[in-house]
Amino acid sequence: MKFLILVMLLCYSFAFSSGDTTIHTNNWAVLVCTSRFWFNYRHMANTLSLYRTVKRLGIPDERIILMLADDMACNARNEYPAQVFNNENHKLNLYGDNVEVDYRGYEVTVENFLRVLTGRHENAVPRSKRLLSDEGSHILLYMTGHGGDEFLKFQDAEELQSHDLADAVKQMKEKRRFKELMIMVDTCQAATLFNQLQSPGVLAIGSSLKGENSYSHHLDSDVGVSVVDRFTYYTLAFFERLNIYDNASLNSLFRSYDPKLLMSTAYYRTDLYQPHLAEVPVTNFFGSVMETIHTDSVYKAFSSKTSNNKINSEMPVNQLSEHDELQKANIPNDELKTEKQKCPYTQMRVDLHEKLEKFENVDTVVNLGIAVMVFVVMISSSLL
Amino acid sequence: MATEKRDKEEEEVKTDDGSLKIKPRPIVQLGIFLVAHSPVFSVVFSAAGVLALLILPLLAKNTYISENALMPGSARSMLSNRDVSDGSKLVKDIKNYRLNHEGQGVEVQKLIGKYMSEMGAEVYYQKFHPEGNQFHPLHFFSGPDSYTLLDNVSCASYGVNVAGIIRAPRGDGKESIVLVTPYDFINGGDYEALSLGITGTLFSLLARVTWLSKDIIWLVADSRYGDYRPVAAWLTEYHSPSFKDSDLLKCGELNTADKFRRAGTMAAALVLKVDGRSERFEDTLSIYAEASNGQMPNLDLINVVNYLAVHRQGFYVKVEKVVSLLSSSWLKIIGEIFEAVGKLAHTLNPDWNFGIPTADYLEGSATLASSLYSQALGIPTGPHGAFRDYQVDAITLKVSPRFPPDSKTRQHDFFLRGAKLLEGTIRSVNNLLEKFHQSFFLYLLTSPSKFISVGVYMIAFALLVASLPMVAASLYIDGCKALNNSTLNPAGNFKSWKWLDAAKQVFALHLFGLIVTLLPYFICQVPGQHSPSNRSIMWGTTSSSLLLITFATIPGCSPFSSRRHGTNWAVLKSVTISAAFIGLCLMSIINFATAEIGALLLVPTCLIVQPIKPALRSRRIKSLLGAFCSMVLLTIGFPVMLFAISKGLFGEGLVGLSLGGEFWTWLESLWAWKSATYLYIGMVHLPCWLLCLCILFHPS
Repeated sequence: MKFLILVMLLCYSFAFSSGDTTIHTNNWAVLVCTSRFWFNYRHMANTLSLYRTVKRLGIPDERIILMLADDMACNARNEYPAQVFNNENHKLNLYGDNVEVDYRGYEVTVENFLRVLTGRHENAVPRSKRLLSDEGSHILLYMTGHGGDEFLKFQDAEELQSHDLADAVKQMKEKRRFKELMIMVDTCQAATLFNQLQSPGVLAIGSSLKGENSYSHHLDSDVGVSVVDRFTYYTLAFFERLNIYDNASLNSLFRSYDPKLLMSTAYYRTDLYQPHLAEVPVTNFFGSVMETIHTDSVYKAFSSKTSNNKINSEMPVNQLSEHDELQKANIPNDELKTEKQKCPYTQMRVDLHEKLEKFENVDTVVNLGIAVMVFVVMISSSLL
Repeated sequence: MATEKRDKEEEEVKTDDGSLKIKPRPIVQLGIFLVAHSPVFSVVFSAAGVLALLILPLLAKNTYISENALMPGSARSMLSNRDVSDGSKLVKDIKNYRLNHEGQGVEVQKLIGKYMSEMGAEVYYQKFHPEGNQFHPLHFFSGPDSYTLLDNVSCASYGVNVAGIIRAPRGDGKESIVLVTPYDFINGGDYEALSLGITGTLFSLLARVTWLSKDIIWLVADSRYGDYRPVAAWLTEYHSPSFKDSDLLKCGELNTADKFRRAGTMAAALVLKVDGRSERFEDTLSIYAEASNGQMPNLDLINVVNYLAVHRQGFYVKVEKVVSLLSSSWLKIIGEIFEAVGKLAHTLNPDWNFGIPTADYLEGSATLASSLYSQALGIPTGPHGAFRDYQVDAITLKVSPRFPPDSKTRQHDFFLRGAKLLEGTIRSVNNLLEKFHQSFFLYLLTSPSKFISVGVYMIAFALLVASLPMVAASLYIDGCKALNNSTLNPAGNFKSWKWLDAAKQVFALHLFGLIVTLLPYFICQVPGQHSPSNRSIMWGTTSSSLLLITFATIPGCSPFSSRRHGTNWAVLKSVTISAAFIGLCLMSIINFATAEIGALLLVPTCLIVQPIKPALRSRRIKSLLGAFCSMVLLTIGFPVMLFAISKGLFGEGLVGLSLGGEFWTWLESLWAWKSATYLYIGMVHLPCWLLCLCILFHPS
């Protein structure tokens, strides 16, 4: 009987942690430019612009997987060697000092892309090239290149089909690699790429509907090629107005796309995504949760996920309920603080940490806990 | 499984008397039907073939840039006035030097070389021998490397090319773009010097730009021995280096040994010429694209040049056309008919917009005829032809300015625009990642911006020749029946061998054609100087005596042999038509335009020809008319006659009695350029013509 209840408790605690209520822990971005060749300069510029934006809004470099299928900066045809611009005014060099390209050139293949998403890598692949997200991660997946009906061309040689993408996303969901995933695609007929998606928590936005082309925004007559696509250009225009603390909602982003300016119709797929778009800030995907843990010494700091696991595993089984209770007790407190600080998880953990620190007489707490449990067991057995 | 099932179904079809009869498949039925009604269908198909050729200008599509990478006109021109003044200075220096100095030296070349090296290019000089390619029957289809350098050359006459290479600053050095300006260093006029000015301007720019991915080669070809030869000599040296020191290298004061430099595979080549004054208000740009044997550069190259010239630099772009056709009344009537039909169709259904104005039709037809003629001739229309032999896409641009060559103020503007055009083209080609491959290689132009692709123009030819196998089959069946009725010879019952006698005759005459084709080689070997007319007389006499020998030695070959030996004329005609069909189809693969024009002549002749004797005997109007038609067609079909007519058609006129001589010279040019048309005339047209003659005088 005890055992049964214990199992029930365990189940409850797991359900609690893995459900939708999992707390947003971190942000990742996978930015992919799939086409090579000089005349596809704009795709690389698109991706690099978005890279710059998400970095500016707070996603650190180690959480951005940047895949660029070609090297425009060092192309012999580039009039500005080692520089990439997304505007003809040439004010902003996107290929500055701090660009970390994770996959470049012929490394950008459908296989590698799917490996990054699903996390099935060869052992030799370094951590910097892996998407090390967890079940609390918000992931932004941005892709640009040449696409068609339910496919996206990689490297002018192979294709990523909508089925492949949906399958990869499903695997990610199964493997609890994300909490929320936003897929943003700037290609022709981008909407068709989302047709097969089924996994919950996925928000998709494409630059054009089926049968529509996505167009480039303008031509740089010094470089001699188009330098940015319309959809990306207006996305960037939206984000340029924002800073890291801004509260603009996804809805406002989606409403900012004008089909007349885009020359195509932006498409959103929201049926798999529960939260109300008007209440979700864009920084949920394009920014990052900020996790500042103040510690006295360098080595005592817990890393976000492992710390929870540690507590669970190190505590004796019979302390579990107590731990749960503590958590429950903390929640109202936590909510109050959320309103003020907008950092619920960090705050909760800090609080928990502090409380655990405060317990000087751990033994009495444990004994009390056992006594309470025995009491509960007695009552329940007598009832049965 | 499927065939078994069908077989069963076929078996089930029973005839009236109950016996099983296998019903043939639909395709076989169709074949039998066509053969049974071959006279009607042959007329219909031939007429449709000619009609299809006439409506080709209506079916022409607008050209478009097929290759994404090209992006013509997307980059701003970077030419500055400094570049133009550099170019102008070069032209002025050359003119001044030529005014003050006379003679054969290489000082002008050195002047250009100095200019190039001042720009930062690698400069070298190349000597070449002006002797071109000689006719050699074995070298007909071989590559351009076949003519080897002569060992003991004299220093009396040789040309010197100058070439400069700008290395792409960040390129991989594996590809290059070639600019060619032919210039006669001794006799070159003021207009020719302008082409050096344009390229000099451009070169000054290219030497300082950062966007080059391919090296740029500027070749100033010494055109005192013609435009083609220096370019061909330079290309031969470029692609097949000789490791043996030629005596030529030591000629003159300029030592060019070990100096030849290369720059990777050529992506494209542009030949620039400036000549004459434009007749129009704008500067005129003529594009020449035909290379040997009707090969064309990729259509994208023409598109890029045309696009930039028309939409960016405001040139009037034209391609060659047959001017005499523009004023021909019959073509005008056809054009008017097509226009009326087009309008009618448009009223019936507003979506049908195939009608074009008569004037456009005339222009299109004249251009198409010229395009067809140039391709059929198989002789390159400019120095770009030499590049095609190495699978390099090349065109010749002939610019005619609208001002006299000594006008300084206009010259600046002209250099600027010419150089901008070339800069844009080079920048587009520079963007290429692969060889030109996206657009068409097989096409006919009806205007600089309209083309007819292979899929469309093949229809006309296919319709023309489609009647040949049909008529051949039907004649064979008729001939066999006739033979069966007339002979009691049991051997004649071997039905399948009846064509053998006729085939022997056809083979003999084709062999004769081959020998006649090769004869000029031996005539050229005859010692002593002979005028072209003498040579043609020699050729004519040997050929006719050979023909007589053929007729005498091979029994049954001659039309004058007795009836016993003679074959049935229907079978002979059947085999002749088959041979003509095979010959035309083979030729259409090698050079479509030749096959098309050849089919226009050969198909009606082959179809209409019949023995003249029975026709005369019967005295019926229909057969007399047929005999008359075949006589006319056979007269026109004689190659020399054909040559005379085409000369008249293209408005060149004949110079009195020297027809033989001119014909010889013409043929000489054909084999010198390795034109497959020459082979076609000798080995397909001539034998078929002779066979038709045999049928005409057949003693049946």
